[in-house]
Amino acid sequence: MNNPAYLLTMQNAFEDLQRRTLSHIPCDFARLIYLASMRDYNCAIYHHEGLAARYGQEQAREALQASHRDIFSKLVYLPLEGLVTELEAYVRASHEAPDDLIDAWQELEPYRVAVPMEADSTMVQLFLSNIRLALEVLRLRQEQSQACQPVSSLPPLPAR
Amino acid sequence: MMQGFAFVAVAVFLVVLLLLSAGHEKDEDLTPGAKRNRGRLGSADALQSAELVLRIFSPKDREFIELRHSPRLQRLYQEERRKVALHWVRRTSREVSRIMRHHRLNARYSQNVNVAAETKLFGQYLELRFLCGVLVFLIQLLGPHALVDLASYTGKLYEQLGRTMRDVSAVSNVASSGDAVP
Repeated sequence: MNNPAYLLTMQNAFEDLQRRTLSHIPCDFARLIYLASMRDYNCAIYHHEGLAARYGQEQAREALQASHRDIFSKLVYLPLEGLVTELEAYVRASHEAPDDLIDAWQELEPYRVAVPMEADSTMVQLFLSNIRLALEVLRLRQEQSQACQPVSSLPPLPAR
Repeated sequence: MMQGFAFVAVAVFLVVLLLLSAGHEKDEDLTPGAKRNRGRLGSADALQSAELVLRIFSPKDREFIELRHSPRLQRLYQEERRKVALHWVRRTSREVSRIMRHHRLNARYSQNVNVAAETKLFGQYLELRFLCGVLVFLIQLLGPHALVDLASYTGKLYEQLGRTMRDVSAVSNVASSGDAVP
């Protein structure tokens, strides 16, 4: 659809999504997961009741799809260090035990579903590869902090 | 006799490079959408891949990993980058072949084919495929940062050569001035 009214409505839906929803999500990685969760697993069509009621079903879908693509490419072009920070923020925001989350993500790789449809194949490869590396960095940090913890948390030795 | 062997060896090497550059890759990391997109000719995303190369070989990422001082992480990094780099090279090679195939089909129905231009284009195509083959070979043999490493090694060697040259000429100057003294 290329008619100006349609494009304007879609643009409004896109901005509304950024302003009212995505800006309240703490980091880009969490935004990516949120947008991927708006997509039906079976048919890959995006759904957002509020947005669809205000701007129309099709415009809402396109706004969600465009936002998903934007966030995805932003994360792909992020240096590894930045991605680790994003993932760390996501783990904190999830309120899950970091060890459990890292284990589950390394084992099941659920982040694969966060990739938008029709994404460039090299971008997909780089993204998945960077997530695997970022998870390993987080695991390493966890191991290091756990290795330091018992020593500092030991009760003081009784005086002789 | 020896020339014949050398010719055959070069030909075999070229064929191996071409086969390497067109080698199959595992598609396990790709979504069906990405697989479909991989086959798209001249897509806008394909143009982005030049920028992606800078990300794949980013020295910042490499430094970041090295600063963790973990052999396990460094091994994983090398493996992961090798995979992505090989994917990119093979994809480029495939796209070039596809573009050439399309061009060949179009040229077949063309009324006025410029032989010189076509020959030049074919030469460039072979050069690109050859370079892709060399890249695959180097990445598999020496790792994803092989070219960067080779370039920096060449730079160091060049500096070393310059220093040695200066030393050698300084020594010979001293020697020749010593000879001149009665």
